[in-house]
Amino acid sequence: MALPAEQAALATSAAPAQPLLCFDGVGIHLGGREILSPTSFEVTRGEFVCIVGPSGCGKTTLLRAATGLVRCSAGQVRRHGRPVTQPSREVAFVFQDYGRALLPWRTVQGNVGLALEAAGVAAPKRPARIAAVLDKVGLGAHAHKFPAQLSGGMQQRVQIARCLAQQPELLMMDEPFGALDALTRHSLQDEVARLVQHEGLTVLFVTHDLEEAIYLGDRVIALQSNPGPGRPSLARTIEVPIPRPRDQLTTKEHSDFLRLRRELFAFIEQGH
Amino acid sequence: MKPARLSPLDALGSVAVTLALVALWWAASHGGWISRVFLPTPEATFASLREGLDGGELAQFAQATTWRMVEGWLLASLLGVALGALIGVSARARAYLQPTLEFVRPLPASALLPLAISIFGLSPNMVLAVVAFGAMWPVLLGTIHGFAAVEPRLLEVSRCLQLSRIDFILKIGLPNALPDILAGMRLSLTVALIVAVVGEMIASQPGLGQAILLAARAFRASELFAGIVLLGLIGLASNALLGLAEHKLLKWQSP
Amino acid sequence: MWRRLRPWWFPLGLLLLLELHLRSLAAGSDSLAPPIAALRAFAGAARDGSLWQATLFTLGAAASGLAVAAALAIPLGITLGLSPRASRLSALSIELLRPIPSVALIPLAMLVFGFGLRMETSVVAFASFWPMLILTRAAVSQVEPRLLEVSQVLALSPWQRGLKIVLPAIVPRLFVALRLGVAVSLVVAVTVEIAANPNGMGYAMMIAQQSLDPALMLAWLGWIGVVGYAINLAALMLQQRVARAMGAAE
Repeated sequence: MALPAEQAALATSAAPAQPLLCFDGVGIHLGGREILSPTSFEVTRGEFVCIVGPSGCGKTTLLRAATGLVRCSAGQVRRHGRPVTQPSREVAFVFQDYGRALLPWRTVQGNVGLALEAAGVAAPKRPARIAAVLDKVGLGAHAHKFPAQLSGGMQQRVQIARCLAQQPELLMMDEPFGALDALTRHSLQDEVARLVQHEGLTVLFVTHDLEEAIYLGDRVIALQSNPGPGRPSLARTIEVPIPRPRDQLTTKEHSDFLRLRRELFAFIEQGH
Repeated sequence: MKPARLSPLDALGSVAVTLALVALWWAASHGGWISRVFLPTPEATFASLREGLDGGELAQFAQATTWRMVEGWLLASLLGVALGALIGVSARARAYLQPTLEFVRPLPASALLPLAISIFGLSPNMVLAVVAFGAMWPVLLGTIHGFAAVEPRLLEVSRCLQLSRIDFILKIGLPNALPDILAGMRLSLTVALIVAVVGEMIASQPGLGQAILLAARAFRASELFAGIVLLGLIGLASNALLGLAEHKLLKWQSP
Repeated sequence: MWRRLRPWWFPLGLLLLLELHLRSLAAGSDSLAPPIAALRAFAGAARDGSLWQATLFTLGAAASGLAVAAALAIPLGITLGLSPRASRLSALSIELLRPIPSVALIPLAMLVFGFGLRMETSVVAFASFWPMLILTRAAVSQVEPRLLEVSQVLALSPWQRGLKIVLPAIVPRLFVALRLGVAVSLVVAVTVEIAANPNGMGYAMMIAQQSLDPALMLAWLGWIGVVGYAINLAALMLQQRVARAMGAAE
């Protein structure tokens, strides 16, 4: 099983192997319906975990519960052993509808700066940090543009930049590329994979795109909808042993990729 | 609605059409199609205008009316934005107050003049009070709407970033409400001018309102028209200035 | 049930406070009257017919002014909307005439028509003309260009295009323009009556104030508010019904 560089480093250090995020019997009821049956799993530092499933299976709700935007009806989510009850700056959230998550009246620079302002970073220090983060996502040349002047992919990158500016330890991504065209999606996938590895982030990534999940993740968790007795939300966990760095061409021809893809597709089909 | 950008040729054509209308006016008054008692000639109007502005009282009247309008509008905007922000951010306040506000919305601001006269008597301050009160509603309602309609996604972003409440109001609530506030202020300016003029008419306060009323009663049509032209100019200039400010402040809407 | 009554707490509470406060003032105040006295004055005016007479006059003046404005603004607006050139050529003239406050024309209308219905109708017509013109023009120019392309591809004649595509497309927005026109016409009608015209609800309110009958004055103020609210609401419901019937998003 190939471990990300950071996780390997941690394993050799004397630090305790406590999971960063722990879902302990997390169940969620919304609007009178059970969206998620009690679900348990752990996420260790540096892991890239993808969550897939059909519409309505509760994958977005799970992500929001882990961020503290939604309350668990049963069980709890623990980060560093402490229950998550409200959002924290250590956990950054990338929304799918980037257009609505950016401030239209601020430039790219201003939008990224919001995270620093919220964290109380002194004004003189901000420009340098903003510029650094914008360079990381390749938007250095567009710092003074308004979101309305940018393409969808660029707007999503602004959001990612703002999340990185928070210097989080955990990055939550809710179908971040769902609203983008295929080419933009692929290039952003690679960019995120690169950034995550470079920054040593732990990522929870929700998507409905099975290939994307296998391509990006160390582990793929498949949820199913309409949970009930004998039908838990968490249906299947798949480890992805494909080595990094990955690329769009060769990885997708890798035997493990094809095998996992077949497995996952068959499983999802079964559930319907 | 902003006028479309015109090419130089179109601008010229537009001016030509306007001049054609003026020519029509000239012909109608000179040709006696409409009695000169009702329709003075353009030259007579212009002469009255010049006379009134040069040595006469028109300049003072125009100033008085403009000042009344601006003062009332500023008061109205201040109160409207402050109250509107307080009410707008609180869903509970909105639930209790909005129905009453919606009821008062269609009420003509001038309808409060008799009540104000009752309480304050015929005085310049009475007119100012009604101007301010009447002009407050569009700004108030616009501000409430602006603060109430914050994109829910931005609310979540502010929670994720852990923005303080004040920071939220200043950095997200206010800029988000600004287009609605400015639109309300634009409407308020129109109301302020109208109430100022009506107030002058019925409370006999010196100003363009009273001036044109007296001119009509004395059958001095060219003076009446001169006053109307001035009022039109005041409306035009104030709207244009506000439109310019709006454009500057809302640059991000059309980058 | 408590929730349903929420809109009423504030106004009723306010009225109650006013009632108690004003009643404690010396009876026979010249400037203010408690709400219950106003209600009584209202009932009195309803009984002796003055309420209905004045209300009918104001509504009649507003309606006829609106009709004149619509008859002029809608065809002109459609023309300007269909012809961007005409729209551009008329731009300056419209921008110069539009800002003239309608109340500035009250003395002129007085001069020409004296007092009465025509004077008020003309001022109302001027005031309602502009918003209806602008909105109608916008409605026509905003007809979904894709639909116009469809009409080209189907090779519809200009008459068919106008009838089957343009007209149905603008009807919902026309009703929005009409609704705005209704609001403006009512406000201007009352304003004209307050400023000059000795007819209608505005004038009745002025007379009540001048005769030092605050109860009646407040009754008229309240009634003007109710009538305005009711008519605006009716216009809104009509507009929404039309929009639904024509499948419009609003």
